[in-house]
Amino acid sequence: MAFQFKPEVMVDTLPLLAEGLELTIYITLLGLAFGFIIGTVAGLGRLSQNRINRSLAGIYIEIIRGTPMIVQALFLYFGVPLVSGVRIDPITAGVITIAVNSGAYIAEIVRGAVQSIDAGQFEAGRSIGLTHNQTMLSIIWPQAFRRMIPPLGNQFIISLKDTSLLTVIGVAELTRSGQEIVAVNFRSFEVYLTVAIVYLCMTLSIAKGLRWYEKKLMARSRR
Amino acid sequence: MSDTSNMIEIRNLHKNYGDIEVIKGVDLSVKQGEVVVILGPSGSGKSTVLRCINRLEEITSGSIVVDGYDLYAKETDINYVRSEAGMVFQQFNLFPHLSVLQNITIGLIKVRKMDKAEADKIALSLLDKVGLPDKAAAYPDQLSGGQKQRVAIARSLAMNPKVILFDEPTSALDPELVGEVLDVMKNLADEGMTMVVVTHEMGFAREVADRVIFIADGVIQEEEAPDEFFSNPKNPRLKDFLGKL
Repeated sequence: MAFQFKPEVMVDTLPLLAEGLELTIYITLLGLAFGFIIGTVAGLGRLSQNRINRSLAGIYIEIIRGTPMIVQALFLYFGVPLVSGVRIDPITAGVITIAVNSGAYIAEIVRGAVQSIDAGQFEAGRSIGLTHNQTMLSIIWPQAFRRMIPPLGNQFIISLKDTSLLTVIGVAELTRSGQEIVAVNFRSFEVYLTVAIVYLCMTLSIAKGLRWYEKKLMARSRR
Repeated sequence: MSDTSNMIEIRNLHKNYGDIEVIKGVDLSVKQGEVVVILGPSGSGKSTVLRCINRLEEITSGSIVVDGYDLYAKETDINYVRSEAGMVFQQFNLFPHLSVLQNITIGLIKVRKMDKAEADKIALSLLDKVGLPDKAAAYPDQLSGGQKQRVAIARSLAMNPKVILFDEPTSALDPELVGEVLDVMKNLADEGMTMVVVTHEMGFAREVADRVIFIADGVIQEEEAPDEFFSNPKNPRLKDFLGKL
């Protein structure tokens, strides 16, 4: 009884994945939006003059980077409610997990980009009388942001793929949808191949979109 | 004590980097309208002294008073004093994400709270003054080194500073571009701008300076009018330094 590849199963599978795909995109976008805010705060915290800010940001980054995201999701969804007494739904837990997790990596991206800007830029800003915050906002940040785009794109792709780990807390995202279809038709090969292709289409689009945006920024600065 | 007619008054300045003392007691006063050139071998601390005058460095002890404001006193609004003292850097430090015009107006708009139209007008007249009237829309990476440095001078002039500090302004330039920057600086000196210039340009020191200062090993070794400084150096370190040129 040799395996028989049935391409029509893939065609049938695709529409059944639509809802899961939608949820994957929703969690990724929302998670990364919050992740960017958290990452910016933590990344600038790492660079702060204040030692307490610096170590708080450092502890956050090390803990999150040093533990698997799947454990973070399980802890947040199953563990934390036992202490807080408040149950959260899987999707919210998924968004928080992606936000907190990507935030730690984005913090390092932000820190690296800001540190890569020549110290002379900061001095020049201060020497014309701009305050510390004005210099950060109008001189350092716009230059640093440009350098963040490639690693942020990378993080975007990683976080998108990481949403598949949220199956463990029962989020009905793309991978979970695939599993549910397999449970009915037992066509693992065709179904998971389809799922993989859908992920690949998304990650390739992100990569392409970022290259386009980067080029646009370059063109604007050079004209 | 301190003479109020002095634009800059440095008293017994000491500066350590960790255990290494780089400035070992410098006293220097600069009068309004005076052009002071600081010479010295690299690593002698001359740039550090200059950077202290804009509080880009923290000092270990001593005091620096600029236009009556004690730079290192807690109650001094350092942002205000900095806006009154322009700084021109060896590496230009233009803002690469801003156009030439925006480089010059950013201080006027953000620090002086001037409206954009008025700031643009000032910037354009300054570009004219430094000989770059057609570069307002250009970006820094489209300019030559000499043009960049002239924009940097225009940027510091925009704040209408009482003194401009030049930190080796021509050291990063190709030799054929040095002249255009020195010409702009000469014009400023002629107009009565108070200037402190760290440089290796002996011709400029000889021609433009009111006073030349030689710093080596973290202290002022000699301080003279240029004629005397170059024709009759007394300090042995200075004789050695001038002999090597």
